[in-house]
Amino acid sequence: MGAKMTVEDFTQLFREIGLDEAAMLKWHALFERRHPDGHQSFLEWLGLDAAKIEQVRARSRG
Amino acid sequence: MKTYRITELARAVGLSRSALLHYDRIGLLSASDRSRADYRIYTERDRRRLERICQYRAAGLPLADIRALLDVPGRPAARVLEKRLRQTNDEIGALRGQQRLLASLLRVAGKKIPPAVDKDMWVSMLKAAGVSPQSMERWHQEFERRAPRDHHGFLASLGLPEAEIARIRAFSARP
Repeated sequence: MGAKMTVEDFTQLFREIGLDEAAMLKWHALFERRHPDGHQSFLEWLGLDAAKIEQVRARSRG
Repeated sequence: MKTYRITELARAVGLSRSALLHYDRIGLLSASDRSRADYRIYTERDRRRLERICQYRAAGLPLADIRALLDVPGRPAARVLEKRLRQTNDEIGALRGQQRLLASLLRVAGKKIPPAVDKDMWVSMLKAAGVSPQSMERWHQEFERRAPRDHHGFLASLGLPEAEIARIRAFSARP
């Protein structure tokens, strides 16, 4: 059984398939715009704390 | 000296008349006097005894222990009170255990993503971010290799049926 996926693991996965920082920011922005609740619950699932989640979502809205 | 009828005394301490009748039957508190018509007459001294009874009840002591406390002169009180103190400590310990269990159950429940995001949303967002279908396959393969249980949990959170989850994981597991 694998260890729990951390946010770093997830990011690394996307980086390996060719998503760069800009693409990930775009992806978060899309997620936030289209499915704000889903974005929130996805970040919770990754284990981010409330402050970090707010930071990511604020940046995605910006 | 002030005296009380049973209903009057019950009301004064917030108990029912039948509670006082019960206390009389078990020998916990009896009226010191009777009227000519044989009604119970409680004295000021009875009232003070009843107030102590109420105080011990508020501390959770059983009526039998309260009777022992009030009737035995000297200081056996400490033993009865210590017993009740130990009980409350045990009960607090048990409640703490329940509290911890509930908190961890809630944490587990909170980890799951409700299918607020389904598979189509994910795929369309990944496409929009420039991820090709081949890259998505590779992403599943990596996910499956590194954290198979989380891969399953992630797919289940998107609301996929078990059969489709199994299909995706099978192609992801191929070398």
